[in-house]
Amino acid sequence: MHVDLQGPWSPLLGRLTLGAIPYTNPILIGTFIFAATIALIVVGTVLYFRKLPYLWREWLTTVDHKKIGVMYILVGLVMLFRGFIDGVMMRTQQVLADGPHSAGYLGAAHGYLPPYHFDQVYSAHGTIMLIFAVTPILAGLGNIIVPLQIGARDMAFPYLNAVSLWLTVAGAALVMVSLFVGDFSNAAWVGLMPLAELPYNPGVGVDYWMWALQIASIGTTFNAINIIVTIVKMRAPGMGWFRLPVFTWTMLSTNIIGLTAFPVLTVALALLGADRYLGTHFFTAGLGGNFMLYIDLFWIWGHPEVYFLMLPAFGVFSEVIPTFSEKPLFGYITMVAATFAIAGIGWSVWAHHFFTMGLAPNSIAFFSAATMLVGIPTGVKAFNWLFTMYRGRLTITTPMLWSITGIVLLLVGGLTGMMLSAPAIDYTVHNSVFVVAHFHCMVLAISAGIFSAVVYWWPKVFGFKLDERNGLAFYWAFVIGSVLVFVPMFGLGLAGETRRLDYLYDPQWMPLLIAEEVGIGFYFLSVLFFLRMLYVSLRDRVPAKGDAWETGRTLEWMTHTPVPFYNFAVTPQVHSRDELAWRRANGLEEAKPDRYVPIHMPSNTGVPVIIGLLAAAFGFGLIWRIWWLSGVSLLAIMVLVIIRSFNKNEGYILTAAEIEAMENKIETASVIAEQPKRLPLSEVEAH
Amino acid sequence: MSTHHANPLDHAEIRQGTVLRYIVAFIISALCMGAAMLAVQLKLPFLHYAALVVALTLIALLSQAALFFGLDISRAQIWKSVSLVLTVPLFIISVGLTVWAFSSLYERTMLPPSGVTQPGMSAPAVPGMGPMGAPSQPTLLQ
Ligand code: HEM
Ligand SMILES: [Cu+2]
Repeated sequence: MHVDLQGPWSPLLGRLTLGAIPYTNPILIGTFIFAATIALIVVGTVLYFRKLPYLWREWLTTVDHKKIGVMYILVGLVMLFRGFIDGVMMRTQQVLADGPHSAGYLGAAHGYLPPYHFDQVYSAHGTIMLIFAVTPILAGLGNIIVPLQIGARDMAFPYLNAVSLWLTVAGAALVMVSLFVGDFSNAAWVGLMPLAELPYNPGVGVDYWMWALQIASIGTTFNAINIIVTIVKMRAPGMGWFRLPVFTWTMLSTNIIGLTAFPVLTVALALLGADRYLGTHFFTAGLGGNFMLYIDLFWIWGHPEVYFLMLPAFGVFSEVIPTFSEKPLFGYITMVAATFAIAGIGWSVWAHHFFTMGLAPNSIAFFSAATMLVGIPTGVKAFNWLFTMYRGRLTITTPMLWSITGIVLLLVGGLTGMMLSAPAIDYTVHNSVFVVAHFHCMVLAISAGIFSAVVYWWPKVFGFKLDERNGLAFYWAFVIGSVLVFVPMFGLGLAGETRRLDYLYDPQWMPLLIAEEVGIGFYFLSVLFFLRMLYVSLRDRVPAKGDAWETGRTLEWMTHTPVPFYNFAVTPQVHSRDELAWRRANGLEEAKPDRYVPIHMPSNTGVPVIIGLLAAAFGFGLIWRIWWLSGVSLLAIMVLVIIRSFNKNEGYILTAAEIEAMENKIETASVIAEQPKRLPLSEVEAH
Repeated sequence: MSTHHANPLDHAEIRQGTVLRYIVAFIISALCMGAAMLAVQLKLPFLHYAALVVALTLIALLSQAALFFGLDISRAQIWKSVSLVLTVPLFIISVGLTVWAFSSLYERTMLPPSGVTQPGMSAPAVPGMGPMGAPSQPTLLQ
């Protein structure tokens, strides 16, 4: 070993000892009991209803883009809940630990979390929310919707698609494991340098953060390749570039960002890994290292990353608003141009995250001006959405409410972003909770896009709508919570509260902190309403039509609801930008194909999920420096990939008769229906 | 059913290399590496050295793109070639702006080269790469 490790190390277990299990921490014991109960209920239910074979055959081994998308979203929602609990913990700590006379509980001097634990909570919160909640949910939406919108049978690389999913899951699993085995990073989601270096952070926390991020972002990069190729290569006949739905356009630009930006993160983390594992000095404070290079690399990825998350939400607004305004999107071409302008400019603004690092005035001026430029295409978009609604026939459903709210949040976040992009202002509020409030407006706009999308496209996937009444309650609780948490936060930031504090020194901040705590209470309520919305909708299951909202405009609403696993019985011919609206105007929306042709489908495979498991083991081994485990897992992954590459993987054929039968009884083809075993091509021919 | 889907090698997008191209690309890459090693040992003036490195990088990159990956402007490969070309501006933006911003950042935040050691560090600073942040140095906002 080339680096000095603190504490014991053994060849068999690496740094892992019994002391790594935090069985003395009451909070973590409670968490463990909660997690174990849920796990038992889930596993118990699966076993009781004998659904294990179904789960394996139809879900874990699937290569169907819709099922993969659903699983992405499910993982994202679980992580969203975990990140939310972290948020509750932080808010509660701050309201308890304000002022020198605030009491201390559970061994903390103030509040109930000692600094080291608090630091892990905010580091986990940021990492989880951005990388393991919002990213998978958006990836899932893209997976489900893009092929449907362009009239494709599946993604371009169905097998790679499953690999991406399971790599993301492996990363998320590592973050979760860090709760109960060892620690998580205390160096923030950005990896504060040189705090994240081994001498200053000798535990395994940073390693958990680093490898979870590394493994998941490789999955994200694969997914980006997949979506780009799908859009470039798999469009239905007639779907020219300027007939692409705007959501698909935003997915294209977002994944171009993903494909180009994520490798920078991979490099930054790999160099940090070299520092922590091999004893190099890329980002240390001495021996030729320079931690400012890490900050630079991180934000070269980090700023494009925030647009990687934002653009799909723009896409959702651009689908939902025309549908519920019964008008085509205003300014389609400018919308597409604005999308790419944002993505492009987003590549040259990253230094606004470290104006205060000591950059020269002319550099600061350049990056400041570039940052402000982003406001122009963003403004174009906002006006386009408004003009779409202007004189439209509006129906205010929950998806529409979420989208409108998203635009408002975008406005608040964008304007405060403009303030921050002025260096004179940034020098006074950098690293204050004003910045935190700014970017939460933005990520809340993304969340609004996500909830809008989930409610909007839910019936397409599952065949019934979500309950509107509970959906509205969820919406209002969420909005009230957001206002109560983040409006005071802007104020606290201007009053001088710096971010990431486990102890606040100024008792005068108390009223605003209490308001934030009440806000978190409303968020808690919103979670309950969300669960109730799911429960009521699953219980009632009122069937929805193919065009579930009756004013849909794009291709995905032309298939059945729920969408059959082969998407379109016959590949559609596209005539217009809003194909369904065009067909409706021409009285063609009920047209049925006069005959069916056999469909060639990819076969399921267990390789991706096994690769995911091995990747998690590989990461776990590296984190605890159990070298044999990492070595064996990596070798196994390589061998699996090579074996798989010899498999001709011919897929199977759905016959015309089978398709016709399923088209007439569409539940039998839905994503949750169990399919009979279908033989791969070569075996069919052998018979 | 035709099984042409089943054989990946029937697709032009997938058939990228030939044995000959692989061998040629391998030789070129090896030559580039050898030249790079020589360049290090020759102790050339900095500008010549930099120009040589850039030239070798370009040759290696081109030979790999064209020979290993078979990128060209045919219908099957054009998208891959386009995406490779499109990374060039990003590369220039991210590396160029970094170099530009950091060249003045160094002057403003780093010590001039000298033998100063940082308090608390056992190893002496590497000449030419001063450690950060000695309190006596006027730095920010001068
Ligand atoms: C009009 C567009 C925007 C402008 C002008 C803008 C400007 C800025 C500036 C100048 C900062 C640095 C503040 C500081 O640390 O002192 C910042 C931070 C941040 N912004 Fe934005 N922003 C914009 C849009 C967005 C979007 C769309 C997102 C996310 C989806 C976002 C997420 C963030 C995050 C996460 C941070 C803080 C990161 C951290 O330090 O942890 N911003 N923004
Ligand atoms: Cu930024």
